[in-house]
Amino acid sequence: MSPSVLQRIASGDSAAVRECIDQYGPLVWSIARRLSRTPADAEDATQEIFLDIWRSASRFDASQGSDKVFIAMIARRRLIDRLRKTSAEPPMDPVEALETVVWADPGTACETSIEAEQATRALAELRPEQRQVLELGLLHGLSQSEIATRLGMPLGTVKSFMRRGLIKVREFMNVDAEGVLSEG
Amino acid sequence: MSDKRPQGQPDEAMVDLLIKQVTEGLSPAEQRALDVMDSELASAYLRDLERAAAAVTLAGSTGGEPLPTALSARVAQQAAEHFASSEKVADLTEARTAAAEKAHVQQSAAPGQSPAPGRTNRFGGYGWLAAAACLVLAIFGWERSPPPLPPVAVVPPAAVIVPPAERPAPPTAAEERAALLANADSLKIPLGATKDPAAAGVTGDVVWDPVTQRGFLHFAGLAPNDPAMHQYQIWIFDAGRDKRYPVDGGVFDVPANASEVVIPIRASLMVRKPAAFAVTLEKPGGVVVSGREHVVALGATS
Repeated sequence: MSPSVLQRIASGDSAAVRECIDQYGPLVWSIARRLSRTPADAEDATQEIFLDIWRSASRFDASQGSDKVFIAMIARRRLIDRLRKTSAEPPMDPVEALETVVWADPGTACETSIEAEQATRALAELRPEQRQVLELGLLHGLSQSEIATRLGMPLGTVKSFMRRGLIKVREFMNVDAEGVLSEG
Repeated sequence: MSDKRPQGQPDEAMVDLLIKQVTEGLSPAEQRALDVMDSELASAYLRDLERAAAAVTLAGSTGGEPLPTALSARVAQQAAEHFASSEKVADLTEARTAAAEKAHVQQSAAPGQSPAPGRTNRFGGYGWLAAAACLVLAIFGWERSPPPLPPVAVVPPAAVIVPPAERPAPPTAAEERAALLANADSLKIPLGATKDPAAAGVTGDVVWDPVTQRGFLHFAGLAPNDPAMHQYQIWIFDAGRDKRYPVDGGVFDVPANASEVVIPIRASLMVRKPAAFAVTLEKPGGVVVSGREHVVALGATS
């Protein structure tokens, strides 16, 4: 199997850097725009995420997942860290103005990545309100308290939905069936 | 990403904390609570939950927009700088290793000899990447990309007229701000709009260098003011000072038809630990102590 773009970056292939920006720029930009308070913030975050990617490329292990999921993990970590630092501020956009999420089609999600396909299948098994909690929390960066307020739902229910949803996805990703799975 | 998995199951408290870490981050108190739990178990399940969250993110991130061209160029430029810097460190390490080996075997090596195979070519191709990024930056500039904005109205520092032939033009506030943004030690803080009428639709940010005590505000959508009636005034809340008396950061105007402005901050006092930045609307010339009737923007460092 040919090395992934991250493995090529780690081995010093300079052309892979441009490929990585071209290939994963839209993904990083999409996540950054959703989980940032302003467009300027999203641009700063995107630069920080790519810097994290260059620094972390050598830690990528293809046997543990796709490069897409690795990059999405790096992006999420950085953006949550940034959101945490600015959590005292009000969101710049009213919650009602959140961008509509277009979920991957279960039949074609595998074109995105195997993990996206697994997540899509897991999400299909959730109740709509459970799926909505995951969408607001994971794709729009709302805190569990914000989700509870927005949906008029008890905080405990939001926590429960988030937990069951993530555990369901984890289950579909063929991870060890012990531990967290038993929580669901 | 290790294959080793710890034995045991996380308890409910650990799972709750890990899910919060993955979805919104932990407060210092929550982080302390997690720190006293089984770290090996926690990190294994954290990784799984992060992967699950990333997979959901991928499933919901279809049909994304391409990276804006100017931003893509900045990322490429940054990559070139990063790897060039990494290479210097590697070269230094290699030089030290070589020197140690030389001392050990007491052999002399001719200067300029060929380095070890595969080392010097590592990331040796970044010149083209940097050049390409510079070219795109030259074309698209450093302005923020989407959404497209009208020309930036920069409120410059006090004008000094110098004949162009004698020395180059000083950098604009926008250029100085871009330089500060690229400085890893600078604080970058989003500014949130308030309910004040002048703040409707405002977005902005602050960049502040605590070492040089220099900084810039950047706003889009701030209402133009009539300098004869009012001026905007910048305030810096220093964690080491009384909250009632923030440091004056200077006054500024927003010209009519200027939808975006970059304003240098002129702190009147040393700011040791900036906690927040605010902008108020005051009488012309500003005030010593603001009544805070019209706070139009606010941003906290943490």
